Amino acid sequence: MTIRFELNGRAVSWEVTAGETLLAALRRHEVTSVKHGCDTASCGTCTVLLDGKPVPSCAVPAGRVDGHAVLTVEGVPAEARRLGELMAAEGADQCGFCSPGLVMSVVAMREDLDAPTDEEINAYLAGNLCRCSGYVSQTRAIRKYLEVTS
Amino acid sequence: MAVRTYAKPASLSEAAALLAEHERAVIIGGGAYLRLGGRSFDVAVDLYDAGLDYVRETGDGLELGAMATYRMLETDPLTRAYAGGILAHAVERIVGVQMRNIVTVGGTIFGRYAFSNLTAALLALGADVVLHGAGRLSLAEFLARKPARGDILGSVILPREGGRAAWGDLTRTRNDFAVLNVAVVKRDDVSVAVGARPGMAQLCPAAAAAAAAGGDDAPGRAGAAAAAELEFGDDLRATADYRRRLCHVLVARAVKEVLS
Repeated sequence: MTIRFELNGRAVSWEVTAGETLLAALRRHEVTSVKHGCDTASCGTCTVLLDGKPVPSCAVPAGRVDGHAVLTVEGVPAEARRLGELMAAEGADQCGFCSPGLVMSVVAMREDLDAPTDEEINAYLAGNLCRCSGYVSQTRAIRKYLEVTS
Repeated sequence: MAVRTYAKPASLSEAAALLAEHERAVIIGGGAYLRLGGRSFDVAVDLYDAGLDYVRETGDGLELGAMATYRMLETDPLTRAYAGGILAHAVERIVGVQMRNIVTVGGTIFGRYAFSNLTAALLALGADVVLHGAGRLSLAEFLARKPARGDILGSVILPREGGRAAWGDLTRTRNDFAVLNVAVVKRDDVSVAVGARPGMAQLCPAAAAAAAAGGDDAPGRAGAAAAAELEFGDDLRATADYRRRLCHVLVARAVKEVLS
């Protein structure tokens, strides 16, 4: 089946199979920032924004996005660079596998929450797991990111 | 999931026509567990663009569209204001925001998930479900009834008055499914629902009567009544005995909260 949607601000038309997930379709089309992690919608590394809302692309059927807008890290290069630099400066970046999904959640959080507390940040990002860090350095980096971009 | 065709009807009637036309057509709900189900069907019917992602006030009460997400229950001013925000409290710690952006009211109820926090909260609130074609019936009746072919859940309707409500659950880690969940709602009378026992959420009439009788010992008597009238089972999260004791405590706490 053909799906037509907006990917990172550009109109695209893709052939996908009826049972394919958005994650599989994105990676097959070389949008490889979107990582294949737990495959049970629990780890958050496959997070993309669907019409501005963070969703686990491993649990979204590709057919669903027909007529909608999808945003991945490739579509937010300035934010990704800025948050990446702040994470590196705080020692929050190790293997990096969770980073693309985390960046997308933080981009969505910036829109959703006004001046969030650390507790609100942690609750919002509870669906993005990191198995290298203890989240403390990430929270420091995210707080700095929110300060500089708000 | 193994699917031959993917369909996105623009309305409930279009969805109903697809179900009538194809014997092996299935409404996929939010889709969160599609890959885990290992099911195969001819037509996957996705209601994502059918205009059912709403929370609204109607003449009857508060109506939740079948495709309203858990995240909407957390953030919509109507659900936040209803019955002390019990719907938000019931869902706000489930996995993460991403998951809650795709998990839907309709998918939860229609899937009859015994672990569901939302089902317990809706039962205690006295929710009705509206099925396309078959009409309106209480959630308790819907859960007791066998799924019928062609059923499509359009919305859930909550009574106009939310009342005082209390939510209680225990999870082994912050974002896990509940070991047990409890919802208590007080309007003119009291309603108590307990789920994840690990069986399907159920109303507890004896506990509700004990709570409605009032008095200083009402919370303790309601807790004891719920522990006595329900069945509990073992699974990887807890034993039946642990759940029975937990039920006593969580029901007593929630009743105390709504009576205070």
